[in-house]
Amino acid sequence: MAPLLQLSGLQKRFGEVRIADGLDLELEQGAAVGIVGPNGAGKTSLFGLISGDLRPDGGDVRLDGRAVNRLDAASRCRLGLGRTYQVPRPFEGLTVFENVLLAAQQGAGTRGRESHAVALSSLDRTRLSPDANRPAGSLGLLARKRLELARALATRPRLLLLDEVAGGLTDPEVRELVEIVRAANAEGMTVLWIEHVVRALVATVSRLVCLAGGTFVADGPPQEVLESDAVRAIYLGSTVAVAT
Amino acid sequence: MPAGTLAAPPAPTAPAATGGWLVRRGSRLPAWLLAVLALGCLAVLAALPALVSQADTQLLVNFFVLLVMSVMWNLLAGYAGMVSIGQQAFIGLGAYGVLVLAMNGVPTIASIPLAALVAAVISLPVSLVVFRLRGGYFAIATWVVSDTAMLVISSVSAIGGGTGHAVPGLASLSPRAFGRVTYYAAFVVVVLAVGGAYALLRSRLGLVLAAVRDDEIGARSAGARVLRARRVVFVVAALGCGAAGALLAVSQLQVQATAVFSVQWSAEMIFVTLIGGIGTMEGPILGTIVFYLLQQNLANEGAWYLIIFGTLAVAIAIWAPKGIWGTLERRLGLSLFPLTHRVGPVAGTSRPPRSPGRPTPHVERGPGAGARSGP
Repeated sequence: MAPLLQLSGLQKRFGEVRIADGLDLELEQGAAVGIVGPNGAGKTSLFGLISGDLRPDGGDVRLDGRAVNRLDAASRCRLGLGRTYQVPRPFEGLTVFENVLLAAQQGAGTRGRESHAVALSSLDRTRLSPDANRPAGSLGLLARKRLELARALATRPRLLLLDEVAGGLTDPEVRELVEIVRAANAEGMTVLWIEHVVRALVATVSRLVCLAGGTFVADGPPQEVLESDAVRAIYLGSTVAVAT
Repeated sequence: MPAGTLAAPPAPTAPAATGGWLVRRGSRLPAWLLAVLALGCLAVLAALPALVSQADTQLLVNFFVLLVMSVMWNLLAGYAGMVSIGQQAFIGLGAYGVLVLAMNGVPTIASIPLAALVAAVISLPVSLVVFRLRGGYFAIATWVVSDTAMLVISSVSAIGGGTGHAVPGLASLSPRAFGRVTYYAAFVVVVLAVGGAYALLRSRLGLVLAAVRDDEIGARSAGARVLRARRVVFVVAALGCGAAGALLAVSQLQVQATAVFSVQWSAEMIFVTLIGGIGTMEGPILGTIVFYLLQQNLANEGAWYLIIFGTLAVAIAIWAPKGIWGTLERRLGLSLFPLTHRVGPVAGTSRPPRSPGRPTPHVERGPGAGARSGP
């Protein structure tokens, strides 16, 4: 069986800055993989390349064996790729429910009552049900982050790309979030998660990759990767002890 | 924590979430009241020709024509984010469609929907060209398309060239019967245009448009086909403007290229939409009413009437950028064409989870929750 996500020789540069310099990555169905790396390493841009917001200069993105290079973000979403944005992108004039309903109708391709059920269920698992009728523009940061997640879940993705959903949240909020992501993963959803809140990652993923200078400098079980010399040197600074 | 073993809690399942909840579309006004209001309006409009003079009937036809145009322009600019100043292209095509069909023996009334369809069909290849541009460039491109269509049509001498041509067919009717026929034709077009626009905005496509307006990138990544949604709106607006142009041809019994392809039409539809409230269903309707009331009362003031219109447009743009209805809606939380989905507990049978005293989720009635309004 083909891996769910396969990147091969992915290239992208902005002027002189190489954010993807021949990236290769394979994600098996059902995996939960974390991405760490210094600020500006190109983690979010990598998500852009995978989800279709950005066009690669070279290389391939394959989703379930199918090359999706020529597909736009909407088509990739309909193929089962859900993503959240680091800076939430709510539809501020719509209610929370409508935000998620759009994803259920367009991303998951459901209609009528089924789309309502999908939307309500994803609000329920992200604990947003009490805010269903609120305008999304009135939400605070935590709720906005949850709404990003709810909207991605409502597209019923096979591969979920999470971009720093835990950033800026308190410890209990992070724990709740980890629970939501773990539940989704336990159901069979494949997760690729960019996160600076390392303990949230370690609690969830079984594999960690470190992106720096446009290449993956480490790849393996989380503890191993975090303790590797390459990661210590590049990401955490060579003299800092890793505390997890 | 060893990350490999995922001792996750049991996943919540979908049916549990939907069991106690019901999704409705609504506003503060109960649905029956809105239905009564709508039927009342329709009844009054249907009875009007029997109540008012021949001249007023003609005035009402012009009112309906502008109303249809502004509803269409509001769909384009207020909901799909496409500021077109070339909608007169489709007005002209609709008018000439009626002329050509009537000259070939098609009954004049039957030619109205056919001419509108012609305009819609032509809008599809036009969209392939103008959709390559955005913002101001798109606006200018639509105008160029419109003037090109006018120049091409003016060069065809069989349909009158630049001087225009009379529409055959209805001239034999008595003035009274002619007035009735054109009035009811316009009435049907208005009902279809307003009803169609409302149905479109309530559909899945309407939700896509609202989402795109708020965040296009977010909408795309949630699976929304933005280009397709815009194209549908562009074609629908061409259909509506084509019907409006067809009505013009029928009611004036004369088609002349520089008149039907005049950019004045776009100026008027933009004006009434902006003063009424762009991005609301009610806005263009209210705007057209205000426009006609002002025009009737100021028509004798000569140039002053244009100066007053200009001043009004500037004043609204500065102090009430959401237009008259947009401002009212924010104050009152009213919506005559409710679009918002509301999640509430199912009444009666199954009892949803309740917090003491009031049901959750609570219903927000703040601005923005009342309807999707304002770009």
